[in-house]
Amino acid sequence: MSAVVSPMTSAISPANPLYRSRKRVNVFMLGVSGLALVFGLCWLLWILGTLFYEGGHALARAALYFEMTPPPGADGGLANAIAGSAVLIAVATLLGTPVGILTGTYLAEFGKRGWIAPATRFINDVLLSAPSIVIGLFVYSVYVVRVKHFSGWAGALALALVVIPVVVRTSDDMLRLVPNSLREAAAALGCPAWKMILSVTYPAARTGIVTGVLLAVARISGETAPLLFTALNNQFWSLDLNQPTANLPTVIFQFAMSPYKDWHRLAWGGAALITLTVLALNILARSLFRRKD
Amino acid sequence: MEAYEPVARPVVQVIRPSARSETPPVEELKPKIRVRNLDFYYGAFRALHDISLDIPEKKVTAFIGPSGCGKSTLLRTLNRLYSLYPDQRAEGEVVLDGENILTTKQDVSLIRAKVGMVFQKPTPFPMSIFDNIAFGVRLFERLSRREMEERVEWALTRAALWAEVRRKLHQSGNSLSGGQQQRLCIARCIAIRPEVLLLDEPCSALDPISTARIEELIHELKSEYTVVIVTHNMQQAARVSDYTAYMYLGELIEYGPTDTVFIKPKRKETEDYITGRFG
Amino acid sequence: MRPARWKDVAFEQLTRLFALLVLGILAAILVALVLESRPSLDKFGLAFLWHAEWDPVQERFGALVPIYGTLGTSLIAMLIGIPVSFGIALFLTELSPAWLKRPLGTAIELLAAIPSIIYGMWGLFVLAPLFQAHVQPALIESLGALPLAGALFQGPPLGIGMLTAGLILSIMVIPFIAAVMRDVFDLVPALLKESAYGLGATTWEVMWKVVLPYTKVGVIGGIMLGLGRALGETMAVTFVIGNAHQLSKSLMAPGNSIASALANEFTEAVGDVYFSALIELGLILFLLTTVVLALAKLLLLRLARREGARA
Repeated sequence: MSAVVSPMTSAISPANPLYRSRKRVNVFMLGVSGLALVFGLCWLLWILGTLFYEGGHALARAALYFEMTPPPGADGGLANAIAGSAVLIAVATLLGTPVGILTGTYLAEFGKRGWIAPATRFINDVLLSAPSIVIGLFVYSVYVVRVKHFSGWAGALALALVVIPVVVRTSDDMLRLVPNSLREAAAALGCPAWKMILSVTYPAARTGIVTGVLLAVARISGETAPLLFTALNNQFWSLDLNQPTANLPTVIFQFAMSPYKDWHRLAWGGAALITLTVLALNILARSLFRRKD
Repeated sequence: MEAYEPVARPVVQVIRPSARSETPPVEELKPKIRVRNLDFYYGAFRALHDISLDIPEKKVTAFIGPSGCGKSTLLRTLNRLYSLYPDQRAEGEVVLDGENILTTKQDVSLIRAKVGMVFQKPTPFPMSIFDNIAFGVRLFERLSRREMEERVEWALTRAALWAEVRRKLHQSGNSLSGGQQQRLCIARCIAIRPEVLLLDEPCSALDPISTARIEELIHELKSEYTVVIVTHNMQQAARVSDYTAYMYLGELIEYGPTDTVFIKPKRKETEDYITGRFG
Repeated sequence: MRPARWKDVAFEQLTRLFALLVLGILAAILVALVLESRPSLDKFGLAFLWHAEWDPVQERFGALVPIYGTLGTSLIAMLIGIPVSFGIALFLTELSPAWLKRPLGTAIELLAAIPSIIYGMWGLFVLAPLFQAHVQPALIESLGALPLAGALFQGPPLGIGMLTAGLILSIMVIPFIAAVMRDVFDLVPALLKESAYGLGATTWEVMWKVVLPYTKVGVIGGIMLGLGRALGETMAVTFVIGNAHQLSKSLMAPGNSIASALANEFTEAVGDVYFSALIELGLILFLLTTVVLALAKLLLLRLARREGARA
């Protein structure tokens, strides 16, 4: 036992072979972790680079924004798809945001007791990452099947179902960040709960909630899967939401999968446009949120 | 209402006067660590001002002082733990066995293995009791299964924990009580046979009985190790240490044999703190 | 009762109604999918799950090929995505200089913001040709000769197929997994890491032997979250998987996944059975992802609760 007891530091020396091999493993693994980061960043740069290389020309042409989607072999733009997308996104946001905010309000303000709030929070998180194509299927089976035709309303409804969980999540989080002392101060003035929430809590959490809505808009701007069986597509200018409605993602899908070079070019233009929009919205949302704290 | 009247005599009684009477002045002992003109910065904030002191070998040295006085900061320069954080830096000299560890080319992990540290709260690793001890040993030595078992038993015995855990070595370290976890951390430290043990308020999260056991342990450990303990508990400093450094606002106010510091402090500030007239 | 009191009650009930609505959405999706897939459920029963036939003309359908494709591509995505995400999270928590943490983290998160259709298009036009010309021939040459595992890497290099789809999926799930890993690594008490460093452990040892075991539950939760994403991803896979209802051992042969079968065939499906078979595919996908995501959520909640108890 005595051999073990004496404080012996010969093992703790730079010459220790075990120590040296551990050092090498460490340097190697840390290097690999740096490479992993580079790996991730490379894809980002590569994808963005390709988009602007292939889509840049199309983006710079005014025709992209002012002409209709063409038949194969003809010149044209994406005007109807851009307009359709804008309408779908606007309607979906208008439908989804109030539902999201009110649900978030219940979760954060009233849901302290009982099972409803925890259950809703849990289910909402599942919905948040649920495959969007299933949302499309759902809207198809409850709406499109009933009215017997594809329509802009169906598309907007499907997108609204994507918006809701995003807004619920952020408004719940943001309202819960509002300090309780603010609520207590309002209550101490004899302010009823509904008024307190409308005039004190909402304004306090406003930036956060707006951030959530922006992120939701960014998310649905690129969503394709839920539109395939709902809004479908339309070659012509139509803002009638009872008709199939042209929209950017579906047009990109259709054009990219086609064998025509002109269509490919337009698809790249549309892809660059969507990506720019989505990234801009994301960055805007982030900087808004950051300014707050 | 009766105003609080601080008592004039020290509230701290020195419990083991026998051991104390022979404590020589620091200068007469062989220093294990020499700190010279040490300044420490958190970003732009200067937390330590020109600290110089010698920590004698195989003695217990305590750093005391109010919170924020820099005692933990000083401790964390002794094993260069601060260098984990890029905004923290130290200037001056901390000489361990003749080498300035602040500027040495030697790898910090070797310094840290030589200078073990135990923290405010027990920090068992998420693994079995056995593996907690073996973790550090495996970093520097390749032992056979039998040798490792011996080493674990030895470390746990030294840390006065063996009897309590010998039958459950393969349970999680988290299954132990707080006091046991802290002794496990001490065992983990001494298993790699360091030369210096740094204890950063090791009893602050423990009950009085566990605290007493750790203090006994510290007393035994000093036969082989140089022990440095940071504590906010003056009684504890008086009970376990041979030398005491009183720090205030990042400066070393007084340093000397514990008896002297507690019974006949040279500086007014020390006396105020010791007698509770502080603040 | 104070006069304003009824408004309070009304407001609370209104918000509660919307909360229940969100709860109801999940149930409604489930019910609608079950109802619509009735013809297929009645006709094929459970055998739907393991039959590989997909014959719209004779109306005989089995889900094996798309299930295989979905699981296979997701598995490839996880095999690539998990280690890369760990590396990224390690770099961001331990190695990155403070001023670079935020921009690097944001850049990785932006990978998640790029719409999936962009990934698909890029995969079809950029990655697939590159794979066909360089990567796949090399793989067939080298790994194709191996016994057993070699079967995975045989056949003509087409550029598309499960391997390409899996790689693209891996890029898409990396930001999700890496973000969760980074967040749970940040939860590790500084003292725990300092104790490991204090014994002389290296950064890698601290992360691998102390931080990872400590955050195991959360890390698994993050992986499940990524897996849920990969299983349900539609557009990125549809572009590059090849959309062929065939069961092939080779990872380079065209195949199909549940989501891409839906995207390609749904609007063209004629007849009740074909239609309901597709909806049943959707139902399977929904159940699969819901279970995976619910598990992920439970694991992450458990970690959060443990942290809460400790604090």
